[in-house]
Amino acid sequence: MSKITSVAKWEYLEKVKSKAFLIGLFLTPMLMVIMGVLPSLFMAQEDTTTKVVGVIDPTGNLAGPLIREMESRYQLANGQPNYLVRPLAVGKGINVPSAVSDADRLAVSDEIEGYCVIGGGGNGDSVAEYRSKAIGDLRLIGRLEETLKSVMTEQKAMTLGISPAVVKELTVKLDLRPVKLSKAGEEEGGFERVFFSAYVFLMALFLLIITSGQMLVRSILEEKSNRIVEVLVSSCSSTELMAGKVLGLSALGLTQMGFWAIIGVAVTIQFGVSLVTPGVAALMVVYFTLGYLFYAAVFIGAGSPLTTEQEAQQVTSYLVMLLIVPIALAFPAMKNPDATWLKVLTFIPFLTPTMMALRIPIQMPALWEILATVLLMIVCIGLAMVGAGRVFRIGILSTGKSPKLAEIFRWAIKG
Amino acid sequence: MLKVDHLRKVFASVVAVDDVSFEIQPGEIFGLLGPNGAGKTTTIRIILNILEADGGTVSYRGMPFSDAVRNSVGYLPEERGLYRKSKLLDTILYFGELRGLKRSTAKSEALRWLERFSLLDYRDRKVEELSKGNQQKVQFITAIIHDPPLLILDEPFSGLDPVNQILFKDIFQEVKQAGKAIVFSTHQMDQAERLSDALCLINKGRVVLDGTVRDVKKRYGTNSAHVEFEGDGSFMNSLSGVRRAIMYENAAELELEPDAHTQQILAAMNGKVELRKFEIVEPSLQSIFIQIVGAPEKSPAQEVAR
Repeated sequence: MSKITSVAKWEYLEKVKSKAFLIGLFLTPMLMVIMGVLPSLFMAQEDTTTKVVGVIDPTGNLAGPLIREMESRYQLANGQPNYLVRPLAVGKGINVPSAVSDADRLAVSDEIEGYCVIGGGGNGDSVAEYRSKAIGDLRLIGRLEETLKSVMTEQKAMTLGISPAVVKELTVKLDLRPVKLSKAGEEEGGFERVFFSAYVFLMALFLLIITSGQMLVRSILEEKSNRIVEVLVSSCSSTELMAGKVLGLSALGLTQMGFWAIIGVAVTIQFGVSLVTPGVAALMVVYFTLGYLFYAAVFIGAGSPLTTEQEAQQVTSYLVMLLIVPIALAFPAMKNPDATWLKVLTFIPFLTPTMMALRIPIQMPALWEILATVLLMIVCIGLAMVGAGRVFRIGILSTGKSPKLAEIFRWAIKG
Repeated sequence: MLKVDHLRKVFASVVAVDDVSFEIQPGEIFGLLGPNGAGKTTTIRIILNILEADGGTVSYRGMPFSDAVRNSVGYLPEERGLYRKSKLLDTILYFGELRGLKRSTAKSEALRWLERFSLLDYRDRKVEELSKGNQQKVQFITAIIHDPPLLILDEPFSGLDPVNQILFKDIFQEVKQAGKAIVFSTHQMDQAERLSDALCLINKGRVVLDGTVRDVKKRYGTNSAHVEFEGDGSFMNSLSGVRRAIMYENAAELELEPDAHTQQILAAMNGKVELRKFEIVEPSLQSIFIQIVGAPEKSPAQEVAR
C-alpha cells in the first residue's frame, strides 16, 4: 500500500473517531436548527394566556370601542379572549401625566402587560404610545395599532356622518407577500427562507472548515511536540506526509458534508420544505469542496510552523474572522445582491467560497462569475498547496520559537 | 553498511557537527557517545534525512541515503512520544505500514512484539493509559516492527527500569546475531562500554575517539591501581611509576605510567601500610574521555568517589 494512503487512512480513522469530530457532526445541524428555526417558531407561536393591556384615553370616546374590538377580534385557542383591555384613565378631564406615572408602575410591576396612551389629536392625525417592559411583542403592537386605527376611523366617520356600514365597506385589508424571482421563474419563499438558506450554507461551510482546520493544526502540533514527526519523515517524504494528511482530511470533510446532506434530504422529505433547488445544491458542493481544499492548505501552511497551543488558537481565530466576514454581510447582500462590492469581495480567494455560499441562495450570480471563481479557486488551491508544502517541510521540524510571518512567507515562496 | 563521511552542520553561528565520519558494519553494535549537546542527535537526524547536512555525505550500502532506503531503517527518537489518544495496536500497525509492511504482516509482527514485552493485554488500550516505561516499549516496537537491517536508536535506555534495560540488551544481542546493525547514542559511558563493539565519541561536534572498544582502550588508556589500606598513604604520590594519586580515607586511586611495574609498586607499599586490597583496573571509557576532553562539570575525584 502506498504511504500516502497509509497516512490518509490513519488521519481519517483517528479523526473520525475523535470527540471533536462527532460533536461537530451532530452539533452543527442542531445549531442550525436552533439558530435558524427556533426564533421564527417562537415568533409564530400563539399566546396561551390572556394578556391584560391598559388604555389611557383623554378623548374619552376611543377606549370603549377599543376594549370591545380587542376582546372580540382576537381569541386564544381555548376560546378565551387573547387580550383584556383595562381602562386606566378615560375622559376629557383626566390628568395624563399623573395617569401615565401610575400606569408605568402597573406595567413595571407586571400587573399589566403594557398600556396604550392615546394622544389628544382630535380629528387630525393621531398619535398614540404603547408603553411596556416588552416592546418586542410585535404581534401585540401590530394588533393594537390596527384595532386602534379602525376604531379611530369609525369615530371620524361618525363625526362626518358616514354610517358604520359604509366605513366597513371602505376598509381594505391587504396582505403584501414578497415572491423571489430568478431566471428559472417564480420561486417560493420569502425573505426568511432565502436568508435562512444562505445562512445555513454559510454556517455549514464555516463550521466544516473550522473543525477540520483545528483538528489538523492540533494533530500537527502533537506530532511536533512529541517528535512523532521525526519518525514520520524518516518513514516517508514530507510531500507524501502532507498529501496523505490533505487526502485524509478531505475524506473527513466529505463524510461530514455527506452526513449533513442526508439530514438535509431527510428534512426536505419529512417536512416537504426544500431550501434549495438541486442546481443550487450542486454548486454548493463545488464551492464547499474548493473552499475546504483551499483552507486545508492555508491551515497546513499557517499551522505547521507553530510550536504552542496558544499560537495555534491565535492563528485559528484570525482565520475564523476571515471566514465570518460574509455572515456580517448577509443583510446588505440581500438588500442589494447586484452591488459591485459584493462581486469584488467574491474574487478574493479567502472569501470566494463563503461569499458564493451567501450569494447563490439570494441571487444566482452570472455564469461568468461562477466559472471565473471556480477557475480562480483551482489555481489558488494549486498555489496554496505548493506553498504550504514548502512551509510544511521546514515547519514541521522547527522547534523552539515560532518563526515570524515574513519568514513563513519566504519559505512558501522560495521553498 | 552505513558510511558517514565528513558530515558538517551549522545552526546560525554554532557548528553543531564538525567533520564527523564513521562506518558501521553489519552485525555491529555501534555506540555514538558524547556528553549532552555534543551533536549526537543532530548527527542521527542528518543520517535519517530529517535534517539536511551543510557538508558531507551519508551512504547506505554504497547508495546515497535517500527515500529508497527508508524502509531499511528503524528509528527511535530521543524524545519519547506517540499519539496519546490512539490505541496501541493501531499505532504500531500504522508505523509498520509506513515502513512498507503489509497489514497482515504488520499485525502478526505487532502481536509477537507485544507478547514479548508483556503488553498483549493492552493492545486495545489508548497509549495515554500506559506508564512511561510501557510507552517506551511501544515506541521501540514501532522502530523494530519491520525488522530493519539497520536500527538507529537515540538514547534508548534513558528512562528504562533495570528489568527492561536487560530486555532491551537481550534484543540488541539478537539483532546483532541476525547480522543486523544497531547505532545507538548515549551519554552514559559505562553503558556504551558494556554494549558496543565499536564506538565514536563526539564532543562539541567533533570526533575525539573512534574505533573498537578494545582499540580505544589500548590507544588511550592508562591502567590504574585501586588500593585499600590502613595507615598513612601519603608517600604513594611519589612512588615511581605513579603519575598521580588521588587519596581517600583508607583508600587511593593511583594513575599509573604506561610503563609502570605494578609488582615494584606493590612491593614498595609493603611494610609502610597494612594493605587490604591491591587491584589493577583497566581504564574506563569514562576516564579516557575525561583524560581527553577534560570534565567540565565534575572533577575526576568526585566521579570516582561516587
